Amino acid sequence: MGEGKILDIAHVSFLDMIKVMITMSGAAAAKGTLIRNALATAEKIKEVEYATFDDFLAAIEDTSNPITMIEGKSTHVGDFVFGLKDCPFGPSIKNYTSVFETMPDGYADFTEEFNKPGMITNKYRVGEGAGVSPFCSVHQPLRSAVADKIQVGGKKIEIYQLGCKAGSGKKGFADKWISETGVAKDVVDKVLDNHMCCYYIKIVD
Amino acid sequence: MDNTETLKKVLIVDDEEDMIWSLQKNLNNDKLQVDITVASSGEDALQVLSEKPIDLVVTDIKMPGISGIDLLMRISNRYPNTGVVVMTAFPSPEHKNEALAHGGLHYLEKPFDINELRRVIKTSLAQDDLFKGTVSGIELSDIIQINCLSKSSTTLRVKTSSGREGRVYFYDGNIIHAQCGTLSPEEAFYEILTFKGGMIECISTKELPERTIKKDTEALLLEGMARMDELKAKQNEEKISISSSASDSMPGNIDVISDNKNEEEIMNDLKNLLTEFTSLPGVNTACLVGRDGFLLDSIAIAGTDSEMIGAIASGGFGASESMGNQLDKGSLTMTMIEYDQGPVMLAPIGSEAFLVVVADKEANLGMIRLKIKKHAGEIEKSASI
Repeated sequence: MGEGKILDIAHVSFLDMIKVMITMSGAAAAKGTLIRNALATAEKIKEVEYATFDDFLAAIEDTSNPITMIEGKSTHVGDFVFGLKDCPFGPSIKNYTSVFETMPDGYADFTEEFNKPGMITNKYRVGEGAGVSPFCSVHQPLRSAVADKIQVGGKKIEIYQLGCKAGSGKKGFADKWISETGVAKDVVDKVLDNHMCCYYIKIVD
Repeated sequence: MDNTETLKKVLIVDDEEDMIWSLQKNLNNDKLQVDITVASSGEDALQVLSEKPIDLVVTDIKMPGISGIDLLMRISNRYPNTGVVVMTAFPSPEHKNEALAHGGLHYLEKPFDINELRRVIKTSLAQDDLFKGTVSGIELSDIIQINCLSKSSTTLRVKTSSGREGRVYFYDGNIIHAQCGTLSPEEAFYEILTFKGGMIECISTKELPERTIKKDTEALLLEGMARMDELKAKQNEEKISISSSASDSMPGNIDVISDNKNEEEIMNDLKNLLTEFTSLPGVNTACLVGRDGFLLDSIAIAGTDSEMIGAIASGGFGASESMGNQLDKGSLTMTMIEYDQGPVMLAPIGSEAFLVVVADKEANLGMIRLKIKKHAGEIEKSASI
């Protein structure tokens, strides 16, 4: 008997469920469902306050920061720009493609839908080109909504999604948020050379 | 007190003495409980009307001197609270339409059964028991829609302060005929809709003219409203043009007319548009929802979680659209879900949103559809979607 492939059915079911949602109700409704689900998850996170930005960074380092809790350790590359080495959905995607070779049908439509300007993506400063897969519609709003639970020095923080990279290496840039934050696009490009995700944290006055 | 003072007064007008004698005898001896007066000509009838109040006139059409139709017209102008029943031995559709157009409550063809006349008199007098009065500040289009909603069979008489007059005839809530000058019935209806200010009178009647307007009432109203919008837009363009010309001629006086609105104004516009739906009888909630299910704006009855309605409805809307795609049915224009307590209608607004209208079972679905068709473009524009 040859060596078989082990399917992580929890992940596979989730990935295929997204495809079913797209088929049954269309990409827009499926996107809405995933975002609402992410926001509901963020709602369960407890509020936390850091005295300084350094304390915030230290909490990332020791993995006690709520943002780390949902995506693992990110790296502060300077000037409030962060890079995330590994996509939290990477293992699921790898497991799925190791068995079925390609991702389910409809994923491209879904990603396009997520990148369209919209009320909810505008509110959480995500999408706008920074989506490279349907999972971005979970991950990016979740991170932004979790950030709503964090204060630094008594001030709120806001996250701007600047870009993202697919497993294929294709990069997606959110020109709107890059322009709004004033971060140079080539900085985002360079961050994505070594990371899967790039975002900016603004401390709101 | 004399008992006849409390009785309804009926005036019978006919130049045939036998007819007058017969009607007087039969009507006085039955249980109608009316006070009968007779006149043998139109002139005599006008004399009686000038001397005492009459509730109902039953008149022949063909009489020497003032004809029944002339009499009807004079009564309609001078004694608007007096009802008129028209009788004729020479029936024709033209006579019938003319009689009803001038406010005749009923049109009877001779010879008729006396019981039929009794029924007609009873019905006509019963109209007096309904509310009468003056309501100001109401739009003609609202009255038309009320007649449609209430499935009325009635005649709407519209008269402007400058003397223009038109009539719209409803049967079971459908517009079946209209009159305005020499215009064709359909064009007459559109013309009447453009009337500005004046008097509106609803004449309840069992008798109505032949149906001349074949167009579906919903389509007729939609076309009428579209024409009104076009007219308004044209008038606005003219105003802007005049304003610009005035500014041009006055150096230093810069009159800027801008379409730019702030967010608050846009939201107010959107609220007003949603109110167009919730102001319909039986409609209690109207929500504008992004296709992703996130609420953009809503006017909802207390206790309704609009956010949740939007989220759930996005699944239903998306499923309806997917079904259409699967069946190759083309674009989704509207979908309706019926419940015991009434329907929920979902309609696309542009390519990025949809409208949810929640109604009870008494609501007029046609009217909701009409409003959706009329306002979808404006909502899309107001919401910038």
